[in-house]
Amino acid sequence: MEAKAEKIVMPGDIIKDTQLLNKKQKIILGPGLRTDGETVYACKAGILKHRSNVFYVDNFQKRYIPSQGENVVGIVTQKAGDIYKVDIGASEQASLSYLAFEGSSKKNRPNIQIGDIVYAKLLVASKDMEPEIVCVDSFGKKGKLGVLSTNGMLFTCSLSLVRKILKPNCPLLRLLSDELKYELAVGINGKIWIKSKTSVEDTIAVANAILAAEYTVPSEFPQLCDSIMKSLVKLK
Amino acid sequence: MTENEYSLRFLNCELNYLSVTDGSAIFMQGDTAVIAGVYGPVESKLHKMFYNKANVEASFRPMKGPPSVNDRLMESYIKDVCEASLITSLYPASSISVNIQELEDCGGLLASVINASCLALINSGLAMKFIFAAVCCMIDKESENVIIDPNMKQLNNAKAAFTCVFDNLNKDIICCQTSGRFTEKELLKSIEMCRETVQTIFTFYRDIVTKYATAI
Repeated sequence: MEAKAEKIVMPGDIIKDTQLLNKKQKIILGPGLRTDGETVYACKAGILKHRSNVFYVDNFQKRYIPSQGENVVGIVTQKAGDIYKVDIGASEQASLSYLAFEGSSKKNRPNIQIGDIVYAKLLVASKDMEPEIVCVDSFGKKGKLGVLSTNGMLFTCSLSLVRKILKPNCPLLRLLSDELKYELAVGINGKIWIKSKTSVEDTIAVANAILAAEYTVPSEFPQLCDSIMKSLVKLK
Repeated sequence: MTENEYSLRFLNCELNYLSVTDGSAIFMQGDTAVIAGVYGPVESKLHKMFYNKANVEASFRPMKGPPSVNDRLMESYIKDVCEASLITSLYPASSISVNIQELEDCGGLLASVINASCLALINSGLAMKFIFAAVCCMIDKESENVIIDPNMKQLNNAKAAFTCVFDNLNKDIICCQTSGRFTEKELLKSIEMCRETVQTIFTFYRDIVTKYATAI
């Protein structure tokens, strides 16, 4: 079976599009594609996407596979000597050193309890090694990373939904911010933390809007936001 | 050969049927219905861990009662087929478990179970070398005709019954389960007929994936 870009591919399909490009041009294969000799095969079921010389498969997935440099939301589950163990939804728990916070030192440890939620960046992610996360960038600044406040709400959703709402042209979060005031941290691992400044109802409304967005096309987001806002008004 | 002899019973499927699993599917073939759920890759128990590949487990629950010896055999078929199709080396030191619940058995249960587990694996987004599909067929006691995808009533008159699993690369056979008495010629003929039918199921898989991929 052959397949073209923006088409549905199934595992085992041979991808012919990569041969159309100039032989000298380097081709980058993203997630969902693998090579066997000269042939390119799909190994996930989804839509084949293609941007200049980058090819990948956009598929539905719930289980997170760590990948270097991605921002994730996790829950601290264990304190063991110099490191914290953080559940990021992958097959293994990630480790987070207490030195990987802004301004922390051996004497000045960050105050983190078991059950806290952290927004962190994956420093090491390899299939054979335990993932390692940090809450600072390479300049030692925390930026947006760090411990998230305890009076927010954390929920889990599919990885494709996270990618959908994080797309630069996705209007959902902008539409919601016109009506409600909220803070949120979206982890590419399918965990989203939300905190509304005003009330618990608002927090839940934002969460519902995000979850409902999974099976809604972007052009229908304004209607979706309207209906969420209407039900919120009724509640109050 | 008439058109009817090559046709399968009505296929129906819903993906992502369970909320907790990483991938799941409810699958109906005629009146035979099963639910499949896949967890993985998750942290593996130490004594079951392989350092170079994922450990694949299958568990089958019959409609009532605990699993019997035959159900254990079914589990081994599911495990071997899933392990062959998954690229387990991408998920070392982890565990992938495929869980199947029987809802109704009206003939061709093993075929439905294997098809449901393939759909659940597709839904889970695990990397696979190929996808697989199973077709059940039987040889009638009196007429000696090969019947594709028989129901329970037809199976009661069977001299022999076969379940063949094929991949989507070259339609090679990857698993075959037989019961009853038959000659080599009959087996080869049945396998060939199943091979010609299996494309229907692969097309069905593609339609299902298309339906869901365009919705998200």
